[in-house]
Amino acid sequence: MAYRAEPPDGGWGWMVVLSAFFQSALVFGVLRSFGVFFVEFVAAFEEPAARVSWIASIGIAVQQFGSPVGSALSTKFGPRPVVMTGGILAALGMLLASFATSLTHLYLSIGLLSGSGWALTFTPTLACLSRYFSRRRSLATGLALTGVGLSSFAFAPLFQWLLNHYAWRGALLLVSALSLHLVACGALLRPLSLAEDPVVGGPGAQITSLLRHGPFLRYTVALTLINTGYFIPYVHLVAHLRDLGWDPLPAAFLLSVAAISDLVGRVASGWLGDAVPGPVARLLMLWTTLTGVILALYPVAEAPTGLVALTVAYGFTSGALTPVAFSVLPELVGTGKIYCGLGLVQMVESIGGLLGAPLSGYLRDVTGNYTASFVVAGTFLLAGSGVLITLPHFFCFSAPTSRPQDHVTEALDTKVPLPEEGLGED
Amino acid sequence: MRALQGLRGPRAPALPLFLLCFLAAVRRSLEDGLSTAAPFTSLPVQEEITTKYSNLSSESHNISVTAAPYTSLPVQEEMMTKYSNLSLESHNISMTVEQSNMPVEKNITLERPSNVELTCQFTTSGDLNSVNVTWKKGDKLLEDNYLVNATGSILYTQYRVAVIGSKQMGSYSCFFGEKKQHRGTFNLKVPEINGKNKPLITYVGDSVVLMCKCQDCLPLNWTWYGVNGSVQVPIGVPVNDKYVISGKHANETRLKITQLSEDDQGTYWCHAIFELGESEGHVELVVLSYLVPLKAFCAIVAEVVLLVTAILLFEMYTQKKKKPSGDGKEFEQGEQMKLDDSNGIENSGPRHRKNESVGQ
Repeated sequence: MAYRAEPPDGGWGWMVVLSAFFQSALVFGVLRSFGVFFVEFVAAFEEPAARVSWIASIGIAVQQFGSPVGSALSTKFGPRPVVMTGGILAALGMLLASFATSLTHLYLSIGLLSGSGWALTFTPTLACLSRYFSRRRSLATGLALTGVGLSSFAFAPLFQWLLNHYAWRGALLLVSALSLHLVACGALLRPLSLAEDPVVGGPGAQITSLLRHGPFLRYTVALTLINTGYFIPYVHLVAHLRDLGWDPLPAAFLLSVAAISDLVGRVASGWLGDAVPGPVARLLMLWTTLTGVILALYPVAEAPTGLVALTVAYGFTSGALTPVAFSVLPELVGTGKIYCGLGLVQMVESIGGLLGAPLSGYLRDVTGNYTASFVVAGTFLLAGSGVLITLPHFFCFSAPTSRPQDHVTEALDTKVPLPEEGLGED
Repeated sequence: MRALQGLRGPRAPALPLFLLCFLAAVRRSLEDGLSTAAPFTSLPVQEEITTKYSNLSSESHNISVTAAPYTSLPVQEEMMTKYSNLSLESHNISMTVEQSNMPVEKNITLERPSNVELTCQFTTSGDLNSVNVTWKKGDKLLEDNYLVNATGSILYTQYRVAVIGSKQMGSYSCFFGEKKQHRGTFNLKVPEINGKNKPLITYVGDSVVLMCKCQDCLPLNWTWYGVNGSVQVPIGVPVNDKYVISGKHANETRLKITQLSEDDQGTYWCHAIFELGESEGHVELVVLSYLVPLKAFCAIVAEVVLLVTAILLFEMYTQKKKKPSGDGKEFEQGEQMKLDDSNGIENSGPRHRKNESVGQ
């Protein structure tokens, strides 16, 4: 069997970008636009909005905590079968939800079943993408992640239209059919055999070695801190603006503007991440620090122009840090362990995400306005960027970064014979 | 002070008028703060009287001093005393000569019986006394119960009515001028009911709750009607539990329909009954069968299956092309064989370094 020395950086890789684009659209776009369904659920089941919003929370939690499972499975079987199964699970969850007669059914079908389906799709796809690209990794990741933003624009009106014509049961049925496209996206993920695959061993071995890897652990801590602060403005920006006296329509419009600048930030940062030499962790630190500073400035801005400028800047920088965050990992752990690495990171950082919004809400309830929560969010981001400084090769300007080839040589020198001799063992 | 029967009808005899003047003078000596600029002033005195005695229910005040001799005050005052425990609502319309072409309207929402005072103000630079003032309810000319007063350059006219039933609801208009060219209208209405503007979509076998709501009012009763053809059919006692009428608060009503079928499709009307009349709202119900979205679902699933097959076939085809001698079943392991040729090995960039020891 032939193993590639380096990732192809193009060719079929662009089809993987396309697949990742649609997948992030179908997973996160659907999750973000689900708010449209909530109003219908509240009316149909006569339950309060807080209980209905648990559906999305359970879905997100299962998707994030299930990431390591998805990663481990794709290490063993390759991403394609795992993602296709995930797509079927996600669609099945929505299908069953359309027959629901109580809120518990929705928790189980959308939350648990679709959530597990999503867990099996998103992380393996991004990891696969990282394996296909090395020089243009950040750009590819940035382009793929634009799917999230664009789909939120498209899906919210689409879901509303579906609701108006088919009511929520029919609309869920059709969203299930839409989610089935995840299977098609999975089919595009041709497995790639890189040189260090046989070296790094199966998923169990990978996970144990990762948990002992210092830089990886520090990176996980940094991302968790960043994640805690990252979501707060998305959740509370509109409420903060309303507190300051804005009307709902301009506030929602400002959020759309932030979403657009988020998109631009993702692509620009992706391109920048590849163009600038040296460890990508530095760029991540730059964007994280900027985002933290902007968040801390939020309480100070009172005038509308100041708020608009801050929001646009926040959208740009927070969008900019996402592709770079994904690109740092392969440099740290190598493309061989990327599946498991990404899965673990997603699982741990989701704790930050789950804590961030309620913490911010609690601070608001205690202090009466959003000043404290914005400042705390900024602090978390700055703390995360501080931890990033401890990553290896951070301050080297000309030395090579940790590359997959390094891991291979290391491992090869110590352990196993050359792959030409037909090592097919996983 | 003994009350006297006052003037009635369009023409007043001279003697009672003299008596009234005397009585007015007597009143003046008994009360303070009464404005007695002219014995024929109307509004201020009248208002004083009404407010002073509005909490009494068994006296009738029949002193009528008016600017225009052919308005009768006592009728109004009698009504005011009979229903003096009702609330008083006042509404104004002001008009000027310039606005003559635009009829001025005001909508007044009344929920329970009350005394209503409608005032029209007319500003003109001409001679006020020559302006003719009339009131109409709908098309019927009203002959009593209203007053006219002129102060400075503004002409006031006020109509009072005790609204106790649906007969007193409707449109009241004040007209100024010989040809009745200046008009102000007060529309007395019962509160509006909100149903739903968008149609409710449901499926066969499902159940649905239709709701009608009233913003700030409390109807006495609610009734629901379904439409059969163009006739409204009341929905009465539930049969087989199919229809259940309930309502959590007094200002809303809910109709729950279970076991929906396509016959239940159509418009449903909810009527709110007030003391002063009825008001209605409507909700449209659409019942679809499951086949409608199911067809779309199957179409999309078929499309996905096609896509997946196409992608996998394309891959098999390119694999076969790369390995002309290869067997088809090599596909399983063939997945491991990377398409080195097609993807090409990229040249070194800032992050790339070819490692000879691993080179193929």
